[in-house]
Amino acid sequence: MPFGQLLVEGLAIGACYGLFATAVVIIYKTSEVVNFAQGEMAMFSSFVAFHILAVYQYPFWLAFVIAMLFSILLGVLIEFLFLRPAKHPSLLGMIVITLGAEMFLMGLASWKWGAEQKFFSLPLDPSVTYEPVKGMIVTNWAIAVFAVASTIMLLLYVFFKYTRLGVAMRATQQNKHAAKIMGIRTERVFSIAWGFSSLIGAVAGMFFASRATLDPAFMMEPFLRAFAAAVLGGLMSIPGVIIGGGLMGLIENFFGYYWPSWKPIVAFIVIILVLCLRPSGLFAKHYVKKV
Amino acid sequence: MMFRKKMLVSLFAALAVLTVANITQAAQPAGFDDNEIRIGQWGPQTGPAAPWGSVARGSKLLFDIVNEEGGIHGRKIKYFIRDDMYNPAQTVAVVKELVERQGIFAFVGGVGSAPGMAVKDYLAANKIIWVSPSAADKEFTQPLNPYLFAVYPLYKDEASILAKYIVEKLKTKKIGILYQNDAYGKDGLEGAKERLATYKMSLVAEIPVEPTEKDFASQILRLKNSGAEAVLMYVSPTAAVITLKTAASVGFKPQWVSANTLSDYPLMFKITGGLWEGVITGAFGETPDSKSPLMVKYRDAAKRLTPQERWGTFYYAGILFADPIVEALKKVGRNLSTEALLKALNSIKDYQTIGPRITWTPKQHQGTDSVMIQKCGPGASYIMLQDWTTNDLATWKK
Amino acid sequence: MDYFKVEDLCISFGGLKAVNNVAFNVEKNSIFSIIGPNGSGKTTIFNMISGIYKPDLGRIVFAGENLVGLTPDRIARRGVARTFQNIELFSNATVMDNLLLGRHIHMKTGVFTGAFLWGRGSRAAREEIRNREIVEGIIDFLDLQSVRNHFVASLPYGKRKLVEVGRALAVEPKILLLDEPSAGMNTEEKQDLNIWIKDIQAECDVTILLIEHDMNMIMGISDRIFAINHGEKIMEGLPQEVQSHPEVIKAYLGEER
Ligand SMILES: Nc1ncnc2c1ncn2[C@@H]1O[C@H](COP(=O)(O)OP(=O)(O)OP(=O)(O)O)[C@@H](O)[C@H]1O
Ligand SMILES: [Mg+2]
Repeated sequence: MPFGQLLVEGLAIGACYGLFATAVVIIYKTSEVVNFAQGEMAMFSSFVAFHILAVYQYPFWLAFVIAMLFSILLGVLIEFLFLRPAKHPSLLGMIVITLGAEMFLMGLASWKWGAEQKFFSLPLDPSVTYEPVKGMIVTNWAIAVFAVASTIMLLLYVFFKYTRLGVAMRATQQNKHAAKIMGIRTERVFSIAWGFSSLIGAVAGMFFASRATLDPAFMMEPFLRAFAAAVLGGLMSIPGVIIGGGLMGLIENFFGYYWPSWKPIVAFIVIILVLCLRPSGLFAKHYVKKV
Repeated sequence: MMFRKKMLVSLFAALAVLTVANITQAAQPAGFDDNEIRIGQWGPQTGPAAPWGSVARGSKLLFDIVNEEGGIHGRKIKYFIRDDMYNPAQTVAVVKELVERQGIFAFVGGVGSAPGMAVKDYLAANKIIWVSPSAADKEFTQPLNPYLFAVYPLYKDEASILAKYIVEKLKTKKIGILYQNDAYGKDGLEGAKERLATYKMSLVAEIPVEPTEKDFASQILRLKNSGAEAVLMYVSPTAAVITLKTAASVGFKPQWVSANTLSDYPLMFKITGGLWEGVITGAFGETPDSKSPLMVKYRDAAKRLTPQERWGTFYYAGILFADPIVEALKKVGRNLSTEALLKALNSIKDYQTIGPRITWTPKQHQGTDSVMIQKCGPGASYIMLQDWTTNDLATWKK
Repeated sequence: MDYFKVEDLCISFGGLKAVNNVAFNVEKNSIFSIIGPNGSGKTTIFNMISGIYKPDLGRIVFAGENLVGLTPDRIARRGVARTFQNIELFSNATVMDNLLLGRHIHMKTGVFTGAFLWGRGSRAAREEIRNREIVEGIIDFLDLQSVRNHFVASLPYGKRKLVEVGRALAVEPKILLLDEPSAGMNTEEKQDLNIWIKDIQAECDVTILLIEHDMNMIMGISDRIFAINHGEKIMEGLPQEVQSHPEVIKAYLGEER
């Protein structure tokens, strides 16, 4: 068994799941919405980057920055157009709304860029690899995933701990009414949460796209996995979902190495087991909700 | 007493269904008249499978050429394309619409196993001829379906031929396979195994992947660790991209050999960022740049009539799937009927255009067991490796 | 001259007139209490003042401005703070953090708070120091020292009610709405609260609207009392007047206590 290699691959893809799960959690924490359009928001932003690269031939960093700005705008817009008008929707209503947004984005992307798979790559030389230990090849892609994921985590930590807005966001998560009464503009908090989430999702989306292909449906499967990682991590804590993502990647890769046909479902089996034993996830502090 | 009543009710229900079915059949408009023959095809023009939708447009080119040359015995071909988005429910809807509203004499092509399976029985029940599904399921012709004629070589035959090529021409002993965990992939697996058994060899790794999976790291590492020097791929285009990218990142460089489903080199080259170069594939048609007279004729017609279309494998597949019906219609003459066309199709023997040589008999509607073997060269060019090759192990022929 | 007043306030929920034609005037720096039986509409009045409900009709005028139609956060930024009958705290944060969140509208220095990014001598740092001083003052005042770093969720009910009062004070409000602050407290805690409310009135420049069921407390600290039943005013007056009003006794004192 190529233990070292499986470890690297599992952790790298796990970091991707974790990063994307973070995007899911940021929205879930602030507005208690499971955003089923998350994958397609990332897909759309990745397509914008692709479009700028392919059509305008801008350098990658510029395309990246523009796509990032676009993703923020997209998140804010979707919250504003799809969720805000629904005043007090039920859980089911929320799901339907985000599913609607998902289909809308998917249709728009198919119409604009077609259904054909596109080649998308990050400016990472695939021919350069590192072998710190024999039999353990680390690619630039994996290094980039680790670097970007840890940077984003660090920034989020600082943001939530030390900024007025971050603190306001945490307060809104915990008690929307109380936050309003403290003068926190909760609607703005939601906008910003959606913007942030969309941004982080887009970063993760580009990592996924560069590993496979870019097409309107390419984020459906990663979304499911990231969502599962988020559930594993408790849907509430960002470090929790990162660990959830890592576990997911490792379980899949080690298990999938011996039983390939079980690979796609093993992680979900683990999740069901976890939820049976700890219904609020592995790392959630148990919340007792007031009524 | 109770039992009797129930039986009566179900009898009535059955009767009602039969009557309704009869009415729809009776109300069905005819598929041809003195001036035209109406032929239809479904295929994804939008949605994730849209790249394969060019098959339906390729057939259109052939019918345009036929009409330009004056039609067939005084009748023009009126051709209908319907977008089913590769969704079987949608396929049923568009096929019914065509049959029951437009009146369709025959269908050609039709991309996809699942969409085809969804309408197979409906078409047979309505006695509508269907020539050459654009999918290679043995269920289309086994058991015999009197109205359905297949051109597409079976994946199992192709895998067998490819495995033979790997062993005998590439002299490779260690062969692995990565296959999609469905009928397509399993047929490929079976064909490869059957061939290797004749050399008393076996596959060093048999790795399934689910059609939607996006992370292949562990699968590729299994293949790498098995020491495979050649790897057969019976997967989707996206899965092939992930496979090649992942393999490159962990330093695994076997000879990749794939099914004809991935024989559109310009597309594969583009979406793998050039990694497709060097991949060997089966093929159900001549290379796009082939100099054969018929290929030249079709290519020139395409340039003239449909300059917006890319001259890709799946586009001209639409031509070679439709060629036999044109041939049979010509044979029938002016006195057209379903029975007459069936008779003509059943007597097609060693007929070849730009695809494999096909033969249909009243007892056997799988037309061929041959594929070509080609290789992707620099800049997505096509390199011929081996001309039409039949599968001497093909079980369906016996 | 009118500091805070409500006029013709009406709201109904699906046919039920929860508050009907309520009007009153509150003098600056006074303690104005609202009493009435359960379900009579007291909390609903507070919810309209703080912007959680929008009245169907009427005006809420504070310092010459009509608050009706403003969002809760805007009303908060105009200096209206409140506590809730059922306690709305940030329960997974500490007492200290809850009180600091009360300072939200006083944090002016943009993105980063405090000394984290801008260094010790910066304006942001000075602002943070001031915010912390005020919060420390409140902790001392309400005797919350022993629980300052406890998570709110772990505190007993009475303490949580106090934390909520503290958080409202941290806002440095001009109008303070207290919705049954003594509910769930024991006698000793109630006595403390009584004193503190008096102190707040004396020391801070604040006008207090108070909903209470404890008649001893009400009679002791209120400047004026407004009695309500079925969403409508029964009477308004000085504590003695209210206490002896027959309808109040019938509607409220007769049943409760
Ligand atoms: N959001 C709402 N939807 C429907 N009815 C409501 C709503 N809020 C309040 N009510 C109704 O309005 C009436 C007044 O309620 P309110 O909470 O103001 O009473 P209260 O005087 O505060 O009573 P308590 O002493 O029990 O706190 C009640 O009948 C209540 O059921
Ligand atoms: Mg109340």
